Amino acid sequence: MSEEAPAPILEARHLTRHFLGLKAVNDVSFALAQGEILGLIGPNGAGKTTLINLVSGVLQLDEGELLFSGERIDRLSPPRRAYLGISRTFQVMKPFPRLSVLENVTVGALFGYAGGEHNRARARERAREVLDFTGLLHRVDQHADQLGGPDRKRLELAKALAMRPKVLLLDEVMAGLTLTEVDEVVEIIKKIRASGVSILVVEHVMRAIRSLSDRILVLHHGEAIAEGLPQTVLADPRVVEAYLGKRRA
Amino acid sequence: MLRWLLLALCVAALAALPLIGDEVMIQYGIDALLFATVAQAWNILGGYTGYASFGNSAFYGLGTYGTAIAMAQLHLPFGVGLALGAALAVACAVIIGLPILRLRGHYFAIATLGLSACLSAIIANLDIAGRAVGLILPLTRNAAMFYEDALALLVAATLTVFWISKSRFGVGLIAIREDEDAARVMGVNTTLYKVAALMLSAFFTAIAGGIHAYWITFIDPAGAFDLTLNVRMVIMAVFGGPGTVLGPVIGSFVLTLVYDTLASGISTAAALLFGLVIVLAVIFMPRGLWDLGAGWRQFGPRYLLQNVRMHRL
Amino acid sequence: MLFAQLLVNGILLGGLYGLMALGMALVWGVLNIVNLAHGALIMLGGYCTYFLFKGAGIDPFAALPLAMLAMFAVGYLLQRFVLNLVIRSAQLNTLLITFGLEVVLTYLAQLAFSADFRTINPSYAGANISVFGVTIPLVRLGAFAAALVLAAALWILLERTRLGRAIRATAQNLVAARLYGVNPAQLYAVTFGIGAALAGAAGGLYGMVSQVTPYIGASLTAKSFVITIMGGLENPFGIVLGGLVIGIAEALAAIYLGPTFTDAISFGLLVVILVLRPARSLGAA
Repeated sequence: MSEEAPAPILEARHLTRHFLGLKAVNDVSFALAQGEILGLIGPNGAGKTTLINLVSGVLQLDEGELLFSGERIDRLSPPRRAYLGISRTFQVMKPFPRLSVLENVTVGALFGYAGGEHNRARARERAREVLDFTGLLHRVDQHADQLGGPDRKRLELAKALAMRPKVLLLDEVMAGLTLTEVDEVVEIIKKIRASGVSILVVEHVMRAIRSLSDRILVLHHGEAIAEGLPQTVLADPRVVEAYLGKRRA
Repeated sequence: MLRWLLLALCVAALAALPLIGDEVMIQYGIDALLFATVAQAWNILGGYTGYASFGNSAFYGLGTYGTAIAMAQLHLPFGVGLALGAALAVACAVIIGLPILRLRGHYFAIATLGLSACLSAIIANLDIAGRAVGLILPLTRNAAMFYEDALALLVAATLTVFWISKSRFGVGLIAIREDEDAARVMGVNTTLYKVAALMLSAFFTAIAGGIHAYWITFIDPAGAFDLTLNVRMVIMAVFGGPGTVLGPVIGSFVLTLVYDTLASGISTAAALLFGLVIVLAVIFMPRGLWDLGAGWRQFGPRYLLQNVRMHRL
Repeated sequence: MLFAQLLVNGILLGGLYGLMALGMALVWGVLNIVNLAHGALIMLGGYCTYFLFKGAGIDPFAALPLAMLAMFAVGYLLQRFVLNLVIRSAQLNTLLITFGLEVVLTYLAQLAFSADFRTINPSYAGANISVFGVTIPLVRLGAFAAALVLAAALWILLERTRLGRAIRATAQNLVAARLYGVNPAQLYAVTFGIGAALAGAAGGLYGMVSQVTPYIGASLTAKSFVITIMGGLENPFGIVLGGLVIGIAEALAAIYLGPTFTDAISFGLLVVILVLRPARSLGAA
């Protein structure tokens, strides 16, 4: 018995983007339901970050449509999309180097969803809450460029979170983390989802993807080759082949 | 609280100068104040937003000519002249700013330089602007008036920068400076903010130009759009401390003092030493006097070496 | 006929302009330094050639290699002991320090050489040849030829020699180049030295077609800027092309629009090009 499914919060239809004649993303469609965690996996160069760039507005679509809560957003600028509630992290981390950790996250609180908080003091308060939530409160006054790798990843997450997103795009936030750290971040992401945020997670760490995703989308050479429940997708021979290459007969 | 008191005292002391100083001092004073304003205006765009303009002389020139045309050709009062100059500069900032602010780094700097040179050349061909010969404004001998006007302008500019440093707008500008792409995805409307910064910068620079025009009475394209003005304002702002509220003012006062003291000796040696000061400053205190003050308190002379170590090959 | 004469004038001057910009483009492309003292280096090269000519009686064209050597040394020392100290600083700081150097060099020159106008007037200075009714001054033709030769030499250096490969590798990826054994301090200094040598040659040639004073630096730097932007940082011939465009535009504008418009034209062109295609490269087009 299937009930009427609510409209997805984020919907992508036939997204295509060329780079120098190659299709970095080719006719990719997916839907992200409200409160869902969609895992996005694929070998290196599959187009995952390009897809995130297209959704966040950093890159323009060549073809296709992007809808947020049913409205077309493909012509909107990145700040505009942030205003609507789309946040992202960067795989190659982009902290504000000479600002402190607190100031970095405060920017997110001041400018995110619906224009953010206009009062600087309250924004700073929110930033502290977010830093506490992501486990960075002890680094609050350090300069962002003094942080080590794992802390930088958390800072990326904190910055995106401070924006009060409705949709959060995470680009490999767990790369280079130890198993314990991965489990910690998984817990944090689950709590984020519990607070009502819909999440698109790009990851290579299978442990995390398995544990987090409601559904998984697999990209290979810019195309969507599989989509569905984690158990199904991860056992799909095409997916295995994409990662491991063709078996010699 | 104490800081505010101190600052208020400084302003009061400066305001009292015309009462106790002689003609020469007042003239030096006007120069120093106008330069400090121009450096402060640059600070908004270059220091806070990270868009180092090398063409703010364009706005200075528009302010100069707006005032001159209003007073010399249209016989309007000084205030109207200033307003006209400011309006021209702000309009220019909006129209040219939008395309030019898409450039970054060196390219932006050069584009602004080109803009200033181009405007200068265009004005030199306009009849209403007196072509290359220039214009003569009505004469007034009230040096004290110019001094107080320049001081008021500097205070206004500095208060604006102070407001920026405390406002959400200012945070946005700083975010643009630190990482513009990250700022965009975090929701900062970078286009709007950059143009706004440019408009503020243009406004104060233009009014400084207008006051200067009425004061020196005679203007021409070469003087109004003087390209070396750009490097001087940048140096004063950077020497003092870009991205701080008082840095550019202090840097400007110090350098003007240094330059004028040296110049009262041999002018060539003065220029030579000035150049040397700049070279040494960039090597040993690239973040300006303000940071030198803080750094020295923390590290002493090692601060200087730290800078070299951080930035050398 | 007038048009043809103007065109030729523009081309001849344009070749020299291209040579002027070559040194700036090299330093900009490899070291990411926009050298505001570039014009001052041209000026010093001019004086060097002048004194070799006046003092030692050497023919100016023959004096060029010597002047280039001297300017190479100046450039090498400047980069090695001054500019290398700030190279990892913000772009703005390298602009400022080179401005400071420009001031220092200009006023040192004023002290050493006085503000008098100097012209390099070899015996054949007034000689012309006439081709299809167009007058071509020999000196300008020689300057044009020298400019092309040096541009070609630079191209050969960059594309066909070990040093050139090292320079190009460093320009693309300093870290990787280091791993391959490149000594960055040395290489940067050599590159800047080459840029200074090219500027020096341009200065010597400039002294033959115009006058040398301590103050010519600023406007020549500005002109080199414009040409470098137009020509791009990819290819020496793009720069020469940029120089030709500016030379021709100036020659035509001077007559058809009036001399006061030449600056408006070149800077207007500059802004338009920057806005329309920020990374435009004539050489790679």
